[in-house]
Amino acid sequence: MKANVLMLVWPVILVAGILYFMPLLTRPGIFFSATVAPDFPRSSDGRRLLRSWRLQLLVWSVAAMVATVLLAPGHPLLGGLVPMFVLLAAVGCAYWRNFRAVHAGYGVSRGEVRRTSLSPEQHRESVRVALMLPPFLALGLTAWYLHLRWSEIPERFPVHWGIDGQPNGWATRDLHGVFAPLLMGALLNVLLLVLVWVIARLSRNTVMRYVTVRSLEVLLYPLTLTFVIIGLLPLMRPANAATIVLLTMVPMLLTIVGVLYWSYKRISVPAPEADASPEPQRDGYWKAGMFYYNPSDPAILVAKRVGIGYTFNFANKMSWLVLAGILLIALLPVLVLRAK
Amino acid sequence: MSDNLTLRIDLDSEVPSYRQIVDGLRVLLVNGKLAPGSELPSVRRIAMDLGVHFNTVAEAYRTLAVEGWLDLRHGRGATVVQRDPPAATGEQLEQFRGRLRTLTAETLAKGVPAAKVRAVLRAAVEEL
Repeated sequence: MKANVLMLVWPVILVAGILYFMPLLTRPGIFFSATVAPDFPRSSDGRRLLRSWRLQLLVWSVAAMVATVLLAPGHPLLGGLVPMFVLLAAVGCAYWRNFRAVHAGYGVSRGEVRRTSLSPEQHRESVRVALMLPPFLALGLTAWYLHLRWSEIPERFPVHWGIDGQPNGWATRDLHGVFAPLLMGALLNVLLLVLVWVIARLSRNTVMRYVTVRSLEVLLYPLTLTFVIIGLLPLMRPANAATIVLLTMVPMLLTIVGVLYWSYKRISVPAPEADASPEPQRDGYWKAGMFYYNPSDPAILVAKRVGIGYTFNFANKMSWLVLAGILLIALLPVLVLRAK
Repeated sequence: MSDNLTLRIDLDSEVPSYRQIVDGLRVLLVNGKLAPGSELPSVRRIAMDLGVHFNTVAEAYRTLAVEGWLDLRHGRGATVVQRDPPAATGEQLEQFRGRLRTLTAETLAKGVPAAKVRAVLRAAVEEL
């Protein structure tokens, strides 16, 4: 099997692995996004529903991998996108069916008591600006260092390697070739900052908000480290560069695993009073178990029922505007690269 | 202002959200937990946390402002102000007696002992 086909199969395996555990990454009393008794997931019916979900996931994952292997040699783009899309759509439908089954057969009502603190200072999640500045400083210092050693940068240097470790992408010594990775890192950092700001200001005061804001703050550092090292590629010896770039993935992966573990431990503790302003409880607000739609709720961001982080209230027009803004910032690096 | 002041509403209750917000805030104003000079969170923040429409909270704030509890300034939320209680009229007292009788009868009919009702009433007056 060719290396490029393997590279396209890996994302399918990774996504399938994440989806396998997804129903368990939730708060106590929530199962397939439906409100249930806290011990239901461990009951025989709960285990049966989980098994059925995993079986469907397995079947569709294998189908997606086979489709990738068959499509990728002739149409790499098609082979990379279509099977993944089909996998997510099929598994999404399976999730929807389980959500309906759990809600209809085993759902419980918790009532809709809402509360809020009347102390203004308790409403906003503190965004620690001082903690968020060093990554930008690091990117700036790297750019300054490259500027100082401009004459030592070769006219042409490798920036991409194949699975065999041989360079297959090159950049030239000009403003774009040297500084584009640092600019991309800065833009991604800005995107993270915008996310932190949006979540801190536009969501309810919950444990999820605390966990998400703190996690994003921490992730800023390994992300910056990765871009600083990629930014220094022009000054590295080609023989070492590929290994060094690969090694930058280690702190990033370790941080992601650590952050996920810490976040899961925080949100999985059964503490009904833990949230100062709890999220709405009714299952009916969750379309297909995944999309929050509540026209009477002015909130733009709502804590996800499964996984860690936030989703939009799709009944709020502002949500669509914020989503468009975030997508625009996320696409900027791609546009910068294409401008080359 | 105390750090743990909380406003609660029950969206499943027959009492409208607007009324629950007014009643909840009034209790805190009467018992002094919301003292003159205290700043209340913005309409937007309260509405978002409680999951109700902005107008519901704005209307509740306006009602309390009309009663003389709050000073509303555009874009700055609400501030609790010093309020001189108006002289109670006989009609108001009669209205209170009527509501209390209805509520007491309803509670006794549900089997709550009279002694317990008396104790709760006394505690409520002392708390406020």
